Amino acid sequence: MADAITLESIHQQLCTEIETLLSLKAGSIKMDTDLTVLGIDSLRFVSLLLAIEQRFGVNLMKTGMTNEDTKTVRCLAAAVQSGRNA
Amino acid sequence: MGSMAYGAARRTGIGVFSQAVLEVKGALCEKTIRTALDQILGRIPLLHGQMARDWRNLAPYWKVPSSARDSAIPLRVVDLPAHESGRAEQLFADHGNAPFDADWRHARFLLVRIGQERSRLGVVFDHRLLDAFAAETFFRLIDLTWQGRLDEIAPRLKQTEPAHADNWMRRFKSGQTLNRLFLQMKTLNVCFLTMPAGNAFRPNRFVHDGLTPEESAGFIRKAGEEIGVPILSPSAMARAILAVRQVLGSMSTTGTDYMVFTTANLRVPGQEWETFLFNHIVLLPFWLPAEGDATAKDAAIELRDQLFDHMKKQVPFALSDASALGRIVPHFIAGPMLLTMAGGRICSFYFACLRDAGFSGETFLGLPTVNLIHKPLALSPPGLNICMTHFRGRFNIVVSYVEGAMDDRTAKRLMEQFKSSLLR
Repeated sequence: MADAITLESIHQQLCTEIETLLSLKAGSIKMDTDLTVLGIDSLRFVSLLLAIEQRFGVNLMKTGMTNEDTKTVRCLAAAVQSGRNA
Repeated sequence: MGSMAYGAARRTGIGVFSQAVLEVKGALCEKTIRTALDQILGRIPLLHGQMARDWRNLAPYWKVPSSARDSAIPLRVVDLPAHESGRAEQLFADHGNAPFDADWRHARFLLVRIGQERSRLGVVFDHRLLDAFAAETFFRLIDLTWQGRLDEIAPRLKQTEPAHADNWMRRFKSGQTLNRLFLQMKTLNVCFLTMPAGNAFRPNRFVHDGLTPEESAGFIRKAGEEIGVPILSPSAMARAILAVRQVLGSMSTTGTDYMVFTTANLRVPGQEWETFLFNHIVLLPFWLPAEGDATAKDAAIELRDQLFDHMKKQVPFALSDASALGRIVPHFIAGPMLLTMAGGRICSFYFACLRDAGFSGETFLGLPTVNLIHKPLALSPPGLNICMTHFRGRFNIVVSYVEGAMDDRTAKRLMEQFKSSLLR
């Protein structure tokens, strides 16, 4: 049975993960920060997906993603939530 | 991989270097560029440094030899009348194929002005000190120097390389990761182009083409949809491999697998100045069978899965750790050893799909920018390099090949096949 994780908790954990990935200060990434301008390259994006799989048990690669899902943390969190509920 | 590349390069007597060429509208001023380069060299003397060893403890370090101290970064200027603009390509090809005149040189420039309408500034850079991203950043550094902002940037430029004589347990585990990867690679029967006989240096030839901004945006969208994640390199690499298969077949008479080394930039965004010097790019291996009915999508999904597998096993970071070996065992010793162990086969070809440029300004020294392309030198072996770079919304594609490894017509067909597959 999947643990109950709130959407807010997913938002927070994703923000923290992206800050770590890009060596940014805590609090730099907000829910509606435009992720497309942060310069997340292929390697870092794959690292992010692996971290999401480890934290939330969701393989976004298998559930399928679109460019829309990675526009902001809010969009990404929704994709994670959707993957958990699938 | 770097050691094998140096092993190959050493055998042919030239270095491991590439060229980046920036095109602008208008006539660039030679004096402005020379002044900026002199100022940059004054703040980054390591640009004329060479590796040395302390005679007491053999610790490696970089030193600037006395012969280098009064030398400027070379800048050659050629003015062409507009009706001779076609000569520019050959000038840059010759510039890119010439060796450096000293072990302590790592960059040289060529400025070609075509009338008063266009200028192209090319930098040939040595991969020991500068990688492709750094070469682009070098243009940005020249521009910022011209703007009087060098003092702002200079304190952030790190001019020392760690000795790597620490974290031995982590490096040991990295070595284990790479050993497992090498064992996996040894099961492949790699296709490769037959190189011209002999060890004499053979110049590279280049074919350049590109996508419009609309075509580039279309490919970016398609690549993401194709593999279910918004990243480009699996789709681009799949199409490069299938183009090679279509045009070159199995390349040699015995190979059954393509192995492709693809560049991966390990820099952290926002740390461009701190990581300006030294090579921060690793080469990741990918492979696909040389025959079969795989579509571009099938191949892209397979390569996507290989990329995920590499990242799960931390292969890029293990490769970076292993580069420490170069500080202990010099490349000119390790390279030939590895090349012999690999039976002279490094890979089928090198590939790069670089999305984020180190320079994307709308102007350079006050003039509007037009394009920035890369012309990496294809080492022999494998003798073939396919490079995709991105500048202000458009992809540039360059196929580099060793003269004699294939003919010009075949190279153009390869480019046409690759480009058309990106558009389908």
